[in-house]
Amino acid sequence: MSEENQKQGDDGQHDDGHHVNYAKIYVTLLILFAISVMGPFVGEMTGIKLITLITAFGIAFVKANLVIQNFMHLRWEKKLMKWMLMSSLVVVALFVAGVAPDVYNHEGDNWDNLAAKAAVERGIAGGEHDVEEDHAEEEPAAEVATAGFNAASSYAMICASCHGAAGAGDGAAGALLDPPPANFTDPTFWSTRDDARIKTAIRDGGASVGVSPLMAPWGALYDDEQLDAMVEYVKSFNPGGE
Amino acid sequence: MKPIATTRSATGVPTGRLAVWWLLASEVVIFGGLLGSYLMMRLGHPEWADAAMHTNTWIGATNTFVLLTSSFTAVLAHQAAEKGDGKKAAGLLVLTIGGALTFLAIKSFEWYTEISHGYTITANNFWSFYYTAAGLHALHVIAGAIIMGFIAWDAFRGKELQRVELIGIYWHFVDVVWIFLFPLLYIAK
Amino acid sequence: MSDTAVAVQHDEHAAHDDHHHGPQGLLKYIWSTDHKVIAMQYLFTGIFMAVIGGFMAYVFRMQLAFPGISVPGFGQVSPGEYNALVTNHGTIMIFWVAMPVLIAAFGNYLIPLMIGADDMVFPRINRLSYQIFLISALVLLSSLFVQGGGFGGAWTAYPPLSSVAEYNQTQLGSSLWLIAVALEFVAFLLGGINFITTLMNSRAPGMRAYDIPLVAWMIVIASILFMLSVGPLIAGAVMLLFDQTLNTGFYDPARGGDPILWQHLFWFFGHPEVYVVLLPAIGITIDIIATFSRKKVFGYKMMLYTAVATGVLSFFVWAHHQFVAGIDPRMANVFTVTTLLISVPIAELLFVIIATLYGGSIRLTTPMLWALAFMAEFLIGGVTGIFLGASGADIYFHDTYFVLAHFHYTFFPIAIIGSFAAFTYWFPKMFGKMMDERLGKIHFWGTVIPFNFIFIPLFVLGMGGQHRRIYNYQHFPDLASAEMYNLREIATYALLAMIAFQFVFFFNCIKSWMSGKAAGKNPWQSNTLEWTTESPPPHGNWPVDEMPNVYRGPYEYAHPDREEDYWPQNEPS
Repeated sequence: MSEENQKQGDDGQHDDGHHVNYAKIYVTLLILFAISVMGPFVGEMTGIKLITLITAFGIAFVKANLVIQNFMHLRWEKKLMKWMLMSSLVVVALFVAGVAPDVYNHEGDNWDNLAAKAAVERGIAGGEHDVEEDHAEEEPAAEVATAGFNAASSYAMICASCHGAAGAGDGAAGALLDPPPANFTDPTFWSTRDDARIKTAIRDGGASVGVSPLMAPWGALYDDEQLDAMVEYVKSFNPGGE
Repeated sequence: MKPIATTRSATGVPTGRLAVWWLLASEVVIFGGLLGSYLMMRLGHPEWADAAMHTNTWIGATNTFVLLTSSFTAVLAHQAAEKGDGKKAAGLLVLTIGGALTFLAIKSFEWYTEISHGYTITANNFWSFYYTAAGLHALHVIAGAIIMGFIAWDAFRGKELQRVELIGIYWHFVDVVWIFLFPLLYIAK
Repeated sequence: MSDTAVAVQHDEHAAHDDHHHGPQGLLKYIWSTDHKVIAMQYLFTGIFMAVIGGFMAYVFRMQLAFPGISVPGFGQVSPGEYNALVTNHGTIMIFWVAMPVLIAAFGNYLIPLMIGADDMVFPRINRLSYQIFLISALVLLSSLFVQGGGFGGAWTAYPPLSSVAEYNQTQLGSSLWLIAVALEFVAFLLGGINFITTLMNSRAPGMRAYDIPLVAWMIVIASILFMLSVGPLIAGAVMLLFDQTLNTGFYDPARGGDPILWQHLFWFFGHPEVYVVLLPAIGITIDIIATFSRKKVFGYKMMLYTAVATGVLSFFVWAHHQFVAGIDPRMANVFTVTTLLISVPIAELLFVIIATLYGGSIRLTTPMLWALAFMAEFLIGGVTGIFLGASGADIYFHDTYFVLAHFHYTFFPIAIIGSFAAFTYWFPKMFGKMMDERLGKIHFWGTVIPFNFIFIPLFVLGMGGQHRRIYNYQHFPDLASAEMYNLREIATYALLAMIAFQFVFFFNCIKSWMSGKAAGKNPWQSNTLEWTTESPPPHGNWPVDEMPNVYRGPYEYAHPDREEDYWPQNEPS
């Protein structure tokens, strides 16, 4: 009968009769985790970036390995499973290797990725911040040439999603907001606004000028000159002129 | 009710477990593709360090601790199921689900804070990757927690105990993804 | 009644519960978890989508040959509509015809039967994967009717055209298209897990790895290939969806994003994908050829290992789709070499097929004709790929109709010829009746001959410089010559002829189903396990206490010790 020949698979019993101490593994994981969190501080203090990288990523690999081998029981699993997982990882590595020359590099033998280089320069010129814990307000960079800053592209990147590409308050992300985002193409909007108020709203958020707190404070991204540039750009949507 | 096909095992690995490993193989490529893309773009755009600085390492670390602990309870649930103790396994699975919910709650709080500071998904490509990667991970946490709930319910009544191990393997994978997300998004600034 | 998967009540009640009772009546088609029913659902959905994709081809070919014409059954074709037609034609044919028919339908139907199992390992997940697939098809079809119309950015969906609504003018259609494709991926990931696990684990007692019929192996290898290659694209699709709907900048150079990243993500999957559909077609071909040559496959292990090698190599060639896209030229060198290399294992597969035929006792049935046509036409397609794989030549050929003719000479044999081969071969098993051979042969010649008359002119046009994705060549004086228009007209008339002959096929199906000769268990005198049970097989495939054991390989034809020229796998010596 066919039933006799059916092999019953492993029911979850580990046939080599071991039992790893899960608690010990867990504690090891926690210790490694603590080291990886402390790592960046040590790295900063000593100025050796490599320490941060090793503690962060090296430990990640070790932790992952511990979880995979012991909690997922890959150690005691048939070799086939290990091959399967290795294939997946090899495929990912292959993908990164094949794509990196185009996406990671911004230049090759005979070409430059101008758009990417411009983005990098814009980003770096746009404001350098000291490395510190996150805070709502930060010191804007002391001296930044506005020549490196483009109000239009900053608007496109940050404001347009709510205020719309043409400033009409019809951006996709703002569609469900109540009250809706300001419509800069509406002349009545401008009748009650002046430059200073627009600047404050951008820098400190909507609540600071008595409107919806859904308008976030963006002061951390712009210095004073850049804020003025943003105000000018927003004013350019006014159909009635200045 | 199960087909004879489900009970056979020419490879020696029970079909359920074999299937979960194949599922993980495909998930590795999905997350690998996303994180690989992020890594390449991050390395090519040093100016993202500005934005990356604003992720909250302590919240991220707390979530890492939560997930590690939930992996621990998941494997203990497996141990209990192995011994046939369905009720204990179910209880430990419920703890694991609790870990998942804690993780999600902390993440919601974290995202709410970040969004209200203006760090939205469109603020900058770093943030786009941040929300996409962590969001995809969170979706897997939610899906895992839901399935775990069904399995815990069955286990409590002593049924289908072999599935405790299977959802555990999936859960550990979700933990491993986070183990890599944490340094990528929070530490390597 | 000759319904597909009939839930036959068994008289003997075995230890195995109510497994042999399935849902009855119309509800069967919603709730059934029987792999044969699910296979039929995939098959008919695929056929339906093929009709739609074919209709799209009809419309745009009419527009190309007779610009400005009001196409019968459609009306005048606007540029936006033209783009949507070519985009959705490609997308539908690959994702909603080739994959569901070759892999999901025949994989679902054949794998449990060929390995002697009563169903797939996870029948309910199997049903779920069809339901997700059906939803994906509906989402795609709905994308054609929303405001703005269907997505028109080509099946490759390069940003920023695909990511910025201002550029593509189809905001809703683009996102629906993307979501449909994503859902289809999920359906096939789920289905793939089922196929792989079933093949690996649920074989009949005595069935070693090398006793599995090649078509089953090929479908499973294809599923693994799919599973490993689609990951990065799923990530990329999520990113594209966010670019489309949330205005993120993943692919926007102005914001530090990179459109080339999408291209890589897409083609890293896109290339293995063609082998995902090729391998099952080859599997179908070799099984049919072995049966109708009455000969063992020339090199079973060679075919198996070569198929795996092809799969592995297919991960190393993807950027040949991007030679002129602005990739690092050093990578172009690498990809040229690997692309030319991959022609070797595929050629080997064809040589094995030819060697199997050599010296065989050939029976030219309709399935055999289709299998032979597959080889001949695919060979042409493959050889023209060599020109394209060389990056230097590709500088000229890229984006011309040469490329298009190349991939139709590969895809058409795979998706259409392969499907007809499988359908005509397994029709007797699926429906219990024989198809009419004469009608089958008329349909065969009426499809294959016009096919060549469609695409050879397109090769010539491509070499003459005709670029793709242009809705009216009258705008380009160089491409609007009388000779070129003659070629376009020949191609279009040939397509009309081919469409006309498909009615013969549908007529044959219905006539055979209603009044064809009864097939019996094994009308082709084949060896594999699916031919040892009833036609069509009952729910559970075999009576529970008569599940087959296996004693030998699947291709023991013309064995010297036997009188019969075939030796079924389940017959004890």
